[in-house]
Amino acid sequence: MTKLFLALHVLAAILAVGPVTVAAGMFPGALRRAQADPPDPAARASLRTLHRICRVYAAVGLAVPVLGFATAGSLGVLGSGWLITSIVLTAGATAILALLLLPGQEAAVGAVEAAADGSRAPVPEERAARRLTMLTGLFNLLWATVTVLMIIRPGSTTGA
Amino acid sequence: MRGRYLRVAAHGELVSLIVLLANLATAHLKPLSSLMGPLHGCAYLFVVIAVWRLDRIDTTARAIAVLPGIGGILALRRISRLGMHVRPMRQDSGS
Repeated sequence: MTKLFLALHVLAAILAVGPVTVAAGMFPGALRRAQADPPDPAARASLRTLHRICRVYAAVGLAVPVLGFATAGSLGVLGSGWLITSIVLTAGATAILALLLLPGQEAAVGAVEAAADGSRAPVPEERAARRLTMLTGLFNLLWATVTVLMIIRPGSTTGA
Repeated sequence: MRGRYLRVAAHGELVSLIVLLANLATAHLKPLSSLMGPLHGCAYLFVVIAVWRLDRIDTTARAIAVLPGIGGILALRRISRLGMHVRPMRQDSGS
């Protein structure tokens, strides 16, 4: 059962976190293009698609910590330092993604839609795109650190 | 969109707790508890944070959401009774 949990955990991490990384990385560029020309339907469509990929795969990504805890529980390593560090870093990455990155994207999509409707004057807001770039970078840095911790497992007898 | 996730998580919170307790009372299957435990914990956290982040929500609904097990479903009932739309009204809500 441990092997099944571990395989599903790694599979879920690859399938869920990968798309979020790519789509969130492409979002600020698409946002700049859409802000430059709000009536352009293609730019808005790609912006919405990128946001939707981030949102849906973030939800799918909830399987990663669930299966991770299941694996750690059946391995009996829940008290290890490397694992607790990983859990804290993952919690930070999840908070950045769910509480800052996704709402920020949603607000940016809403602002571009409103500018396209003409209900709001098109304000080229460079700050939003820069902030999203920074948050995406921070998220990527955190989960990359967790991935390295998962492989090296410092202090563990089964570590590399 | 967020409404659907919240609904799924609220039911998952209750179902996983029932499965956990049923397993505790009967078969004591260890793999089942090591899967259902984290599932319940994550569903609980998701429900609490998702309810707390809803706009135009009253303190009672927030307090109800913190209740273990049935908190999510009770909060959902209260939200729909108050006539609040969980799903934000947006043009892209069809996605």
